[in-house]
This record gives sequence, structure tokens and C-alpha cells, in this order.
Amino acid sequence: MIRLFNTKRGLLALLAFATIWFIILYHFVGSAASIVTSNTFESMAHQLFGALGLSALLDWPVSEYAIYWLVAVYFFPIFSVLACSDQICSDKQRGTLRFITLRSTRLELIAGRYLGQLLIVSILIMLTIAATAILASVRDIALFGESVLIGAKLAFELLIVVMPFIALMSLLNIIVSSARMAIVVATLFFGLGPLIITFIKYQLGREFYLSLIFPGGQINSILSQNGLDGSHYILPLIQTVVLLTGSHLLMKRTAI
Amino acid sequence: MSLIIEVENVCKRYGDKQALQGVNFSLNQGAPVALVGPNGAGKTTLFSLLCGYIQPTSGSIKILGHKPANSALFGRLSALPQDAQLDPRFSIARQLTFYARLQGMSKKLALKDTQRVIAMVGLEDAANSRPSELSHGMRKRATIAQALLGAPEIVMLDEATAGLDPINAKEIRAIVAEHANDVNFILSSHDLSELERLCDQVLYLESGQLKQHTDLNSKESNRFITLRMKQEYPEFLPSLMAMQGVTHVTVTQDREYLLSIDTQQNTVAIEIALLTMLDKNSWLYAQLINGKTLENQLF
Repeated sequence: MIRLFNTKRGLLALLAFATIWFIILYHFVGSAASIVTSNTFESMAHQLFGALGLSALLDWPVSEYAIYWLVAVYFFPIFSVLACSDQICSDKQRGTLRFITLRSTRLELIAGRYLGQLLIVSILIMLTIAATAILASVRDIALFGESVLIGAKLAFELLIVVMPFIALMSLLNIIVSSARMAIVVATLFFGLGPLIITFIKYQLGREFYLSLIFPGGQINSILSQNGLDGSHYILPLIQTVVLLTGSHLLMKRTAI
Repeated sequence: MSLIIEVENVCKRYGDKQALQGVNFSLNQGAPVALVGPNGAGKTTLFSLLCGYIQPTSGSIKILGHKPANSALFGRLSALPQDAQLDPRFSIARQLTFYARLQGMSKKLALKDTQRVIAMVGLEDAANSRPSELSHGMRKRATIAQALLGAPEIVMLDEATAGLDPINAKEIRAIVAEHANDVNFILSSHDLSELERLCDQVLYLESGQLKQHTDLNSKESNRFITLRMKQEYPEFLPSLMAMQGVTHVTVTQDREYLLSIDTQQNTVAIEIALLTMLDKNSWLYAQLINGKTLENQLF
């Protein structure tokens, strides 16, 4: 938290985040209501969203959130990979971990850094949700109550989505020696991983359910926000637990 | 005296390289202990094992009755690991306060203790500076300060005075000497005169093996006198050999003589006779040492 809000580098990252979200909110989310409800766009949007299975989003009373959700559900996982790429790496490289591990266990270190990153991403999610709610309320103050309810639900959904992504970066931080390398490995993991799984499936002719190891596997099924139940949260939660357990086991054996 | 460190048959291997091999020793509570050895002897590996930064390939280590990195050692064991740096983005005071809080201190106590250790290493004016704004020596002193937070029972300092100017190195030695009665220091350094001045015991590592575990205050060392002369005198060596009670004289290095003393003789009487001889002949000496120098004991 202090690293983000009280260091030059952190504040710059925050400024970049705010700039990106200003553009998203101003140009896309802010004009969502007029776009979605315009006669010319309505039929096209219904056709397009219907084809994607997202027509339920058009029925939301706060249309700003429909656009917000479509952007945020892909933005925050990518942002988490980038923003949480240095949970331990630089401290390990510099030797600062040696001071810390004389005063805390490695489990506390992993859990503390993970929860810290999760808290930061949660705060940023809440800020963007709040900004969207304000935009909707400015358009129509009667939407404020509805905005808060939908915003809280989406914040929770987004939090569940980003949890395994942050846990993946925890694991990579133990394996690699720099934040940059952690991002590179994460990119390769998400870029080449599915190709390798497809190749294995093609070669062996069997489904090994290896795609379950990829965080974000449930995003496509929750995108429409239609007919969601508890089962959609199980995969990301299991992935998070598995990745954090792996991080702890690796960290226990790692030389620091 | 209670046992503080117990190392049993410890081996550490990095791939094909055997960094430590069958190291055995135990240390009791007491005066500072020196860890000495040539580069690559395994000193830093042993430090890292004792601190729990790495795991031994085989063997066991007990620190104050616990395995290294056990939470029971937090606040009781502290260390200055070689080349470890504080975070360059935060002030020294802030980081030390954070470490003190991790050790379980209240916020108020952590701030107070931070001021205490910063004053001990003479960094009061730089307390609110970030490490990146300080010189190498000041950064080193800041990392020494973190090792002194709270009331540790064991403090391990790996090359604590390396890179420090003579005045600051002297101050660090003074801190060690001042607290040696309350804290068990383990020091690693290439400066043998520094270790000789501060330590009573020496662990000598070579090629990953513990070659010697020497007690500098043993009675054995009383059978020797080391004399360093300021100049070379042709008649000096024969005169030394002719002295009563001196059984053997070795020229250990340029203008340095190691006198072996007859166990039946009173060492003080020989020292007085030696000084009288030097005065009578107007031979200038630089140093008279009771016993062997650490260098002569080890090499």
C-alpha cells in the first residue's frame, strides 16, 4: 500500500491508471446510456450483444455498468498481472528479504504480500466502480441506489476474477528474479500455454482438463452475468488456493 | 555457560560445488566469535545457514535450541548479511521502525528504538534520508543499525566493517566491544587485527571445512610472545635467541618475531628482560603482544 501511495514510482503508476480509466469512463462508459438507448444503435447492439450472449447486460437499469463490466472484466486481470509483478522479486534481488525473514516467517511474507496486492487492486476496483456510479447518478440521480447495488455486485465479481491472477504473480515472483521476467513468463504462460494444451490434446486424443490451470477460465461464462451461481466462484478460488500453496511450498525451499 | 549455537555435520552443496563439508562446532554464550577464512571458504554460506536463508543439504543446526528461521528466534537472532541492502524508496527511520514493529514492538517503542540504534551508528542526521541518498559507508551503518534493533541475544555481522572508513570502522568495533557482555556477536571479517581485538574464539573455515576452532585466551597462547620491531637490527635476532627462557625464535614476517617461551619460566620476567634489552640497545619496537597473533595462529 505504502509503495503505491507513498512513492514516486507508485504515484506515477496510479496516475497512469487514473488516465486510462478517465479515457474509458469519459469516452465509453459516460456515453453508454446514449449509445445503448439510441434508436439506431439499439437494434444493432441487441444483435451484437445477443450474438455474444450478452443481451442480458442491455437490460440493466444502469447502462453505464454494462460497458464498465465488459471493459473491467478484461482490464483488471491484465492490470493485476502488471501491477502485482513485483511482490517479492526486487526485495529478493536486493537482499532486503534477508532483513524481513529474520522477523517474519516465509508464510507470513507470502500471505502478507498477496493480501497487500489484493487490497490495492480492490481499492482501485472500488474507485472505478464509484466513478461509474457517479457518472450514472449525474445522468439520472434516481439511478444512484441501483448503481450502488450493481456496483457492489460487480466489485465482488471482479475481486474473485483477479484473485488467481495475483496468486499466479506471487508464484512467479518466487521462481524468477525480476518483475520484468515475471511479466514475460506470465505472458508466455497465457500465450503459449493454451497452444501447448491443444497440442497435447491433439497428440494424445484425450481431454486432461489442463485448461483449468489458467486463471480467468471462467470469464467467458460470467461475462453475460446471466444465471450465475456459486459454482462460478469455485474455480478461481481453487486456483488461488493452489497457486498460493505452491508459492508457500516453493518459498520454503528457496534460497534468499 | 549455555549453548547458543550447535552445528552438527552440516554439508551444503550447490550443484557440483561442495560449499560446506561436515562442519561441526558448538558455541557457548560469551565473548564475540570470529569466523575467518579465505574467499570462497564458505563463511557466507555458513552465515546464511545459521540465519535460515538457505537449507543445509545434510546435517542439523540449532540456534538457541531452535531450527534456523524458526519464529521463536525472531527478535533474538539478528544479522547483517553481506551485501543486503535496505529498500532505496523509503527512509532509513521508516524501514527500521517497520522492522522493529515486525519484531513485535508497539509503534511508540519501535520509534524510540529506531532512534536509539540510529544514534548508535551515528546516523541521526540521515535518519529521514533514503538509502539511495547516502554513501556506501552510511548505508552499511544503517544495515548494522537494523541488526541492533530490540535486544537480540545473537548478532551475526558478515563483513560489517568492509568498505567503512577507519573512523566509522572504529565506531562499529566500539559498539561491538561495548555490547559484547550482553550480546553474543559472531563476526566475519578479513581484518584479522580487528577480530583479534574483539573476539575470544575463532572458527577457521577453509575449502568448506572447519579447520580450526581456536580459543584465543587458552593457556597455550601464553607460551608465546610476538614482537614487532620498527627497524631491522643485525644483532637483534642473536640477542633474542640468547635470552634465558626463550626456547625458540621464528621470524614470522618482516620485522616480526615469535618467541617460544619455556613453560617453566615466568612470562612477565621474560617480557621485562626483553624490554630492558630493547632499551639498553636503543632498539625501537612497534608492538609487544602476549601470545601469538591471530594470523600466526591460523596460517
